Amino acid sequence: MEFFVKVEVCVCCSEEAHDKHLNAAHSKSAVDDEDSEERLCILADTSYGACCVDEIAAEHVDAEVVVHYGRSCLSPTARLPVIYVFTSKPLDIDGAVKSFQQTYPVKDEKVCLMADIPYHHNLPAFTSRLLAEGYTNLFQPAIIHDPSSLLPNRTLPPDVQEQGADRLKAYAIFHISTPPTSLLLILSSRVRSIHILPTSPTSSNSSSTQASSSLSPSTTSLLLRRRYALLTQLTTAPILGILINTLSVSSYLSALTHCQNLIIAAGKKYHVFVVGKVNAAKMANFSEIGGWVVIGCWESSLVEEGGGGTGFWRPVVTPFELEVALMGDEERVWGGEWVGDFGTLLGRAERNGRSEGVEAGPGEVADGDGAIGDWDEQASDEDEPPEFDLRTGRYVSHSRPMGRPAKKSLAPSTSPDVHNGTASSALIPRNTQTNLATINGALSPAAEFLKSSRTWQGLGSDYKEIAYERDEDGGIRGAGMEEGRDGVARGYVVGAGEVRS
Amino acid sequence: MVNFTVEEIRGLMDNPINIRNMSVIAHVDHGKSTLTDSLVQRAGIISAKNAGSARFTDTRPDEQERGVTIKSTAISLYGRLVDDEDLKDIPVKTTKNDFLVNLIDSPGHVDFSSEVTAALRVTDGALVVVDTVEGVCVQTETVLRQALSERIKPVVIINKVDRALLELQVSQEDLYQNFSRVIESVNVVIATYFDKVLGDVQVGPEKGTIAFGSGLHGWAFTLRQFATKYAKKFGVDKNKMMDRLWGDNFFNPKTKKWVKVGGDGMERAFNQFCLDPIFRIFDCVMNFKKEQIPTLLEKLDIKLVGEEKDLEGKALLKVVMRKFLPAADALMEMMILHLPSPATAQKYRMETLYEGPPDDESAIGIRDCDPKGPLMLYVSKMVPTSDKGRFYAFGRVFSGTAKSGLKVRIQGPNYIPGQKTDLFVKSIQRTILMMGKYTEPIEDVPAGNILGLVGVDQFLLKSGTLTTSETAHNMKVMKFSVSPVVRRSVEVKNAADLPKLVEGLKRLSKSDPCVLTYISESGEHVVAGAGELHLEICLKDLEEDHAGVPLRISDPVVQYRESVGAESRITALSKSPNKHNRLYVIAAPLSEEVSKDIESGKIGPRDDFKARARILADDHGWDVTDARKIWCFGPDTNGANLLVDQTKAVQYLNEIKDSVVSGFQWATKEGPVAEEPMRSVRFNIMDVTLHADAIHRGGGQVIPTARRVLLAATLLADPGLLEPIFLVEIQVPEQAMGGIYGVLTRRRGHVFEESQRPGTPLFNIKAYLPVNESFGFNADLRAGTGGQAFPQSIFDHWQILPGGSPLDKTTKPGMVTEDMRKRKGLKPEVPGYENYYDKL
Repeated sequence: MEFFVKVEVCVCCSEEAHDKHLNAAHSKSAVDDEDSEERLCILADTSYGACCVDEIAAEHVDAEVVVHYGRSCLSPTARLPVIYVFTSKPLDIDGAVKSFQQTYPVKDEKVCLMADIPYHHNLPAFTSRLLAEGYTNLFQPAIIHDPSSLLPNRTLPPDVQEQGADRLKAYAIFHISTPPTSLLLILSSRVRSIHILPTSPTSSNSSSTQASSSLSPSTTSLLLRRRYALLTQLTTAPILGILINTLSVSSYLSALTHCQNLIIAAGKKYHVFVVGKVNAAKMANFSEIGGWVVIGCWESSLVEEGGGGTGFWRPVVTPFELEVALMGDEERVWGGEWVGDFGTLLGRAERNGRSEGVEAGPGEVADGDGAIGDWDEQASDEDEPPEFDLRTGRYVSHSRPMGRPAKKSLAPSTSPDVHNGTASSALIPRNTQTNLATINGALSPAAEFLKSSRTWQGLGSDYKEIAYERDEDGGIRGAGMEEGRDGVARGYVVGAGEVRS
Repeated sequence: MVNFTVEEIRGLMDNPINIRNMSVIAHVDHGKSTLTDSLVQRAGIISAKNAGSARFTDTRPDEQERGVTIKSTAISLYGRLVDDEDLKDIPVKTTKNDFLVNLIDSPGHVDFSSEVTAALRVTDGALVVVDTVEGVCVQTETVLRQALSERIKPVVIINKVDRALLELQVSQEDLYQNFSRVIESVNVVIATYFDKVLGDVQVGPEKGTIAFGSGLHGWAFTLRQFATKYAKKFGVDKNKMMDRLWGDNFFNPKTKKWVKVGGDGMERAFNQFCLDPIFRIFDCVMNFKKEQIPTLLEKLDIKLVGEEKDLEGKALLKVVMRKFLPAADALMEMMILHLPSPATAQKYRMETLYEGPPDDESAIGIRDCDPKGPLMLYVSKMVPTSDKGRFYAFGRVFSGTAKSGLKVRIQGPNYIPGQKTDLFVKSIQRTILMMGKYTEPIEDVPAGNILGLVGVDQFLLKSGTLTTSETAHNMKVMKFSVSPVVRRSVEVKNAADLPKLVEGLKRLSKSDPCVLTYISESGEHVVAGAGELHLEICLKDLEEDHAGVPLRISDPVVQYRESVGAESRITALSKSPNKHNRLYVIAAPLSEEVSKDIESGKIGPRDDFKARARILADDHGWDVTDARKIWCFGPDTNGANLLVDQTKAVQYLNEIKDSVVSGFQWATKEGPVAEEPMRSVRFNIMDVTLHADAIHRGGGQVIPTARRVLLAATLLADPGLLEPIFLVEIQVPEQAMGGIYGVLTRRRGHVFEESQRPGTPLFNIKAYLPVNESFGFNADLRAGTGGQAFPQSIFDHWQILPGGSPLDKTTKPGMVTEDMRKRKGLKPEVPGYENYYDKL
């Protein structure tokens, strides 16, 4: 679905808005084409999320500017300047006012009016109507490009700006159209309450009044609690997958390094994946991965466990949740705070990193399992104790195949000398007891997983189970075996080297 | 004043023939701890004055306060027979008259019966305490059954005889009849759970395996003691005399002959020779016939000293009876003579204790109780130490010798020989002796002894095997008679306390053999226990001790199970995301017997598939070919749901087996109705079509599809909710019975058995009561009967929640489902099967 026109402007169009706006975009390009020398290229197939600018695709056509149509998460991009065209959807203001009045009978209530980006243009009219109705403490934020703001991508009320985040707790939020779940989670701990005025594309023009559905704090805390259940599954998973779900949000690479460092510090193994659009089938192909962390924009990092037909085989969490999961039981607090974008996360990590550097001196910070007196004289060739899996209430062994935090000196696999003999010999002796599988001298928990938990090991491994029918001479009845094909799906090899698909 | 030292005990440990490991088991309030006290008094740890009220083995303050034992407690005692001659009567040749008795006092309340199981595992004999008045109660039966299935030999003491004399004022013959009724009912239980290898373990006073006594007063007797006294007088053999002292034997004083039929004023020998002296003492002392007392005492050869002479009434009675028939003597004698030593017991217990082949070195070590064999040590529970958060591992050495510094292999319950899961190498830091509240360090402990270990607690959650042999299999995992069916969720009042709660939950789950702590799929920290009392104690421990932070505790909630009521009405079909693979599955109910067999471990995933198929075919009417093609059990690879391959000639089927199994574990863990675990569902894979290329039928395609097709099959098979049901046994006087029926009916319970206890106005009522309706039942019952009814509830079975389909919101199951889904943060509606079903 990509059009290439000889112009230099690249128009990046969100998929959601695609049907409606593609025509508009196209006609615009036609106009532009006549007037100027600019080349225009329309991109419609976004690789990761509808809300994000697909810079990579834009770079393929040497674009200098990207114009993004439709709603957006406004995550900062790294490479190209972006012009956003939010598009606008109509709103039944009378209905909205009515349901606002139902929700807030008290006129001087502190309410912050928010709308999903396509509805944002309705806000000034809406606000003035409400002011006319006698409401006194309304705040209508403007759009800014800052997902790590207290109200993501919105300006803050003046008193909050001056006196800090605590003041925001006095505000209720009236949100027009259902916000993405990640926004709900982010806001749930920051404001007093959230009320949502649902809109649907078909009924937005009809005059039927819709009651604003109220989301009590308990509903969002239910959501948060489910996330807690999800992320605690990661605490004992030995192998984690890092899923890159964006190639454009700025600092996604530092977020990746951050996640990698976290995982290495926790003594776990990670693999990095780029799979394009995330779906259950792709993720379930890697059965050895115990959990996934998605690096994406603040909206799309939160991949919802769809329930229903689209459940994920293993939990999928955000970098923030990964941080909480790997924190160690004696520090982990889950108090309602939820951070979506990794800009905030990285900032915090940097600050903590500086203060931690002082704390964690030469001695290892005591691990809650407690090293007291003569209880734990640990000889070097003895095994690490198992970990208590909070989720199931059982002990899990080998949840840190790459060694405990204390053994940070063991080089992470990114360092070049891991594959030479010295490093691998440094790794192996500690594990003589557990005897993990190694590949090229490097520990491979994944190989260990496949070795121990897959029963099917290829053709011929099931000879014992299948009793072949035999004739009187003991020969196998039926067709004899022939040499088949081998290799990977993009080109199998049959017999001696002939490639066939 | 301790009259034995650790060195002495250590010396005794080397001689397994002179060791007795035994647990004291009984119904709640039948007097175990009190009786144990009289033994402890004998060993001299507490003064004789307090015996009967100190409850030495109740080490926790709340145990003392409530007067209820919560944890089982071990003590080692030194004992000897009064008469060296008696050594001859021990079935195994014994030369030294020095015995080491390791005794474990266990709780009687059903909610804590997991503690009993843990105690029984490390002992070879059981002292069953039965109340004279109340007789054999539900818990007596349960613990006795457990003991017999562990091949543990019972001896019985009929306790609280003083109550019969003082409160009920029964006649001698009535008391005899009462005793024989109690013995009869004990023997009925023993006969029911007869074990061929253990052999005949019926108890009888004439065999010397029954004692009568009063723990509170500290006296007890066996016929043997009286027989010894009278044997000389009558000039007959002691054992012959014992036979005559029980049953229909009468002594005619005129003819000086023994006859089998009574009459003309002839009294039953038991009454005449055993009960009469006791009755006379009671009569004299309690009726203040002061002038008769000295003569009586002289006749019975009892000497009072000092202040004792000034005592009166009950106090005097206690002293006199204790001097006349000291409980410790009778019990010691009974235990030493009739309970097996480890050397004897491990011969026949080996095959029920050990999972591996009966001829490997570990099995032989256990069989021979060989201190030089490979170490085989079973840790049956964890005992909290004064050091916060750390535990002693409590267990028994079955083979080899455990010593400090020894490097051992610690094998958790999920260890499979040859694999690395749940296997750790670690050295034992210290070995200790456990004595009630106190511990004593000890150098090493040889086979046959009970001990505590320091330094292995981090490797085992609740129980496990320690060994030095690389080939050793696990000791069998204990099966509990209770399940954690009652749950409450906890949260911290102050979010910053979460780490403390988490740490507390870890400790809690270690400190109790039965309790479960986990995070539910809705993100709540859940504590699950066997009953209300159990949970109450656990949560109190958690809040005050383990976590030490203020908590918010939810109301008790019951965990349901999802099941199916019929076969799927159409074959469920799901296609993989790439549409190239199709799975066809039918769900069908699994019969209750099979589910129970799976849950009790009779049918398990680790069995040989042919043997398993035999059982299924012979006992449960399965088709043998089907039974051999069980792919797996679930959830958690051992639950009561089965996945059966019924396909014919499907290519590549083995390749996708692992993926389908993964999907099955997933689906059975979180069912379609309310994400509760499934139970009692059999899934038949009818057909499978697969893409020819391996890459297109990988885990990614198959795992989610398998889950979907199983969920669809379940939803198509008349899904239902199973709720747990308690078996409630209530003891109540006749006049208060009406109140019970009212309370039970209000709570959807129903009575299925009602019987009068012979000779008493007490009725025994057995009823089924849904666990969900049982919260506050005890209080309600007490109010309804004026405090005269005493219920004991134990989880019995799962039963379909009546009232219709959970898919229909207007029915009761529908409402329960909706509530559950809301609580979990799911959409209130159960998704239709169309969500998982694909059209061809």
